[in-house]
Amino acid sequence: MRATCWMGKKHVSVERVPDPKLINARDAIVKVTATTICGSDLHLYNGYMPTMQKGDILGHEFMGEVVELGKGVTNLKVGDRVVVPFAIACGNCESCQLGFFSCCENSNPNGWMPEKLMGHATCGAFGYSHLTGGFAGGQAEYVRVPFADFGPLKVPSSLTDEQVLFLSDIFPTGYMGAEFCEITPRKVIAVWGAGPVGQFAIASARLLGAERVIAIDRFPYRLKMAIDKAGATDAINYEEQNVQEVLRDLTAGRGPDACIDAVGLEAYGHGFQFAHDSLKQKAKIQMDRPMAVREAIMACRGGGIVSIMGVYAGFVDKFPLGALMNRGLTIKTGQCHVQRYMKPLLERIERGEIDPSFVVSHHMNLSDAPKGYDMFMHKQDDVMKIILRS
Amino acid sequence: MGWFSVALGATELAFPRTLARLIGIEAGAGTSAVLRFAGLREIASGVAVLMDPGRPQPLYARLAGDVMDFGLLALAARQRTSTPRFLAAVGAVAGATALDAVAARRTRRAYAAANRPVVYSVTINKPPTEVYAFYRRLSQLPLFMDYLESVTEYDGRRSYWVAKLPIGKRTVSWEAEITDDIPGQMIAWESTEDSKIKMRGRVTFSQTPGRNMTEVRVEMTLGFMGKQPSSALAKFFAKPQIKGDLRRFKQVMETGEVLFSDASEFRGKHAAQPPVQVQRKPELFVPNPPTAEKGVRR
Repeated sequence: MRATCWMGKKHVSVERVPDPKLINARDAIVKVTATTICGSDLHLYNGYMPTMQKGDILGHEFMGEVVELGKGVTNLKVGDRVVVPFAIACGNCESCQLGFFSCCENSNPNGWMPEKLMGHATCGAFGYSHLTGGFAGGQAEYVRVPFADFGPLKVPSSLTDEQVLFLSDIFPTGYMGAEFCEITPRKVIAVWGAGPVGQFAIASARLLGAERVIAIDRFPYRLKMAIDKAGATDAINYEEQNVQEVLRDLTAGRGPDACIDAVGLEAYGHGFQFAHDSLKQKAKIQMDRPMAVREAIMACRGGGIVSIMGVYAGFVDKFPLGALMNRGLTIKTGQCHVQRYMKPLLERIERGEIDPSFVVSHHMNLSDAPKGYDMFMHKQDDVMKIILRS
Repeated sequence: MGWFSVALGATELAFPRTLARLIGIEAGAGTSAVLRFAGLREIASGVAVLMDPGRPQPLYARLAGDVMDFGLLALAARQRTSTPRFLAAVGAVAGATALDAVAARRTRRAYAAANRPVVYSVTINKPPTEVYAFYRRLSQLPLFMDYLESVTEYDGRRSYWVAKLPIGKRTVSWEAEITDDIPGQMIAWESTEDSKIKMRGRVTFSQTPGRNMTEVRVEMTLGFMGKQPSSALAKFFAKPQIKGDLRRFKQVMETGEVLFSDASEFRGKHAAQPPVQVQRKPELFVPNPPTAEKGVRR
């Protein structure tokens, strides 16, 4: 089959690789009908995530048709149309029973790696380095899906691929970011990053009843989408405006009640601090560039919530712990517990409360994945979300 | 400390009078006898230290000897002939005492550490009786202890273990005996007398406070090539293996089988790509449907 492989920093190529085979009894083989490039794939593309190996198949957002089932999977049939969550979870361990699916204790065969870097193991994930298990990803023609009796969600044929595909990651991720904010109508929510996850965080905040949602980005087309499609009430372009000042004005000095970081470790910024962070990141002294989360903490009102959905990998400097502590802020964060949100969000889509396909900007053939990465990376042609099909 | 002890003892034994003059006390017949006795004691403790440098006991015996020396010096103080020489002798004994104290303490700690087993633990989301029952069928252990080729149970107590060496195709084997067995709680084992691989260990199963899960704790010491079981070899050879074994044991108990990823299916480093042919596959699958509820919001 053909698959998008990571060949080195800023180098992906579509290669011929062996077809996946059933290994575990709870496996399924899924023929991919639609997959996408995620913002977090860019962290791998740019070489900021440790433990990548040449030849790793990328991609963690995909859907498709079940073509083969292990003997342990009884709830699916060959031919079922499914969306697969990016986080692999067993459904048996205590973390899964508590609903913390991305902290699954059994799905990462390389658990010792995150144990060293992060203290305890994290769940396994598709196409996202060896730190998350070394599972082949979904930007391919076929994928092996472990714990297929627990993760995949059957979707009705009445909905298009574009409407349901994002249930695999970015829609639940954005939604969880908004849910963390304990939204009531009077709350003001600010969202850093108007990329696909940011768009869904904004849309979810509106779904949950927030009256005022502020989008922060530097690309006018993304801010425009946030206002026109996702439902943001205000937009701040940080290339033109001072974010802290504008937020202060918009909230009459209080600051947003909750701030969502939908940016992560490759935040863009200006000034000395940005140059300093970039330099350290290039020199591998620091793994992350935490501009957005720093800004979110400084902006958030006293007693407010900072919800971190952007991906971070390691340790950061100049983290405003004093502001966090003295102003009584709460940080809520985590890789999305996708399995928790897929079904309820599918129901919202079916009821017509939201149509996630609004973020799709490009359709490409799987063979053009390298072009897609380059385009997404350089934000060319007003790119928002690229769908790949083979 | 050993050789110093023997040399000093020999001097005390051979030239008690010279030594007495050197430390500034009267060199009478009584003094000679006492010094000769002290010399014998010195030699004995020196030999004891040299015989097994790792053991702390002889060093503590030396420490007791040092205290005795102080006592003797105090008694001899009235018969001293030269105060500076006598004070120098007191100083020398004080120095030796300090050295002995430090050495004894260090050795004791190292000795204790070497004999403390390596410990590793994991929590399994199943009741202790079930976890114990699975583990107790020793022939099933190779399912998740991936370095084992086979375990053959002769009877309820004795068993024969074959392990693959990390490099090459050679295997090693040993016999083990269960020394203690409390159903649902603990299994202790030891390699038999004539085994080349020496090990001693136990695995305990206890209920997690407030929840019906099992805390599994493995303790073991390991020795081979003539070495007695200790933590030194266990730390290096057994602990990394125990960590992986317990991760896989948890997978088997909770999910029904050992999970392989596209990369971990290969032994050694490999990209996250499917294999041309399946390399490794779990041999056993115990159906255990997921119990977690999806779509629960907390």
